[in-house]
Amino acid sequence: MTADRMNNTMDSGMDSGIDPRTKAAIDAALRSVGSATPAAGLEGRILTLLASERIRLEAAPPLSPLARFGRLHRVPARTFGLITACLLGFVIVAGSVVHSRRIRPGVVAPPVLVLPGNGIGAASAVHPAAPASAPVPAGQGSRGRSARRSGPGRARIAPHSRKAPGVAVPAPSTNPSPNSPN
Amino acid sequence: MTCFEGQLASWVAPAPERIVDKTQTIARLVAEYSTALYRVAFSVTRNAAEAEDAVQETFLRVLRHESRLGEIRDYRVWLVRIVWNIVLDKKRRAKTRPEGEDIADHARALPSSDRPADDSAISSQERNRILALIDRLPAREREALLLSAVEELTTAEIAEALGTTESSIRSRIFRARKELAVLLEKEGIPR
Repeated sequence: MTADRMNNTMDSGMDSGIDPRTKAAIDAALRSVGSATPAAGLEGRILTLLASERIRLEAAPPLSPLARFGRLHRVPARTFGLITACLLGFVIVAGSVVHSRRIRPGVVAPPVLVLPGNGIGAASAVHPAAPASAPVPAGQGSRGRSARRSGPGRARIAPHSRKAPGVAVPAPSTNPSPNSPN
Repeated sequence: MTCFEGQLASWVAPAPERIVDKTQTIARLVAEYSTALYRVAFSVTRNAAEAEDAVQETFLRVLRHESRLGEIRDYRVWLVRIVWNIVLDKKRRAKTRPEGEDIADHARALPSSDRPADDSAISSQERNRILALIDRLPAREREALLLSAVEELTTAEIAEALGTTESSIRSRIFRARKELAVLLEKEGIPR
């Protein structure tokens, strides 16, 4: 702490609660840091460094027009990159939308649900855009396995069915079984 | 060459006399403020070589931004702010306070003849201990206290460099000293 500042703090009573010995030690420690003297010739070393840096800067290749613009207007390279990326993204999205509209011009919008009345019971409302619902017959594949049987009785193995070698195939019987309903 | 082109050329490539003018300005700044900046840097680094590096880096930045020299209102505050940011940045990168204070640093920090005699009463060990306790203070209080130790800086300049008011700086210094005294009394001052 400088002498003036120390006097100020003493006058204003800032250090009134501090033990004088402690205060003196703090001031001495701060003074030793705050009044440090650089090694001789610091100014000369700095000026030499600055001179060599100036030569280096002057020898550097001239800036490109874009970099000069950025430096002139203090626009950092990151900002340039961000703006360019945004523009590029916009162009890509806009081009994609235009392209997709061009190849499918007749795409109609989905039907709009017009709710009857004041909207109460909207969940059960009839969709006016949808055709009247009619029962759709179930296909052959949607029936149960037993329902697909062609007729009553035991299942028969087709005579030309292919079996793996070693598997016994019963000979087709000509007489119907006594248990058979036929 | 049109008027616009002439103006553009003057922006892009400054006239030689302007460069000379700026070089002289920078040389004047070096002569006038290098010691004060060294002290600011030394208060944080406590290392002569690092403090000198910080001062050199400060003037390199000034050279790189010499186009702004005309806009600066108070060179001292501007330079202190630059060197302060540099040393804090270095400290953050290093993470640890350099312990290796060499004998030359102590020799450079020796009291000059115009200081009171009680300064030499504190031993090197005691001084290091107090500085270590300063490092334990909260950042805002520590920064204000360290800058207040630099002889060349007024409270107003410290306030401007740290971006706050003078009253705030005074209260920070007050709190820092009080807290430091409590810490010192708790640990006992070596004699």
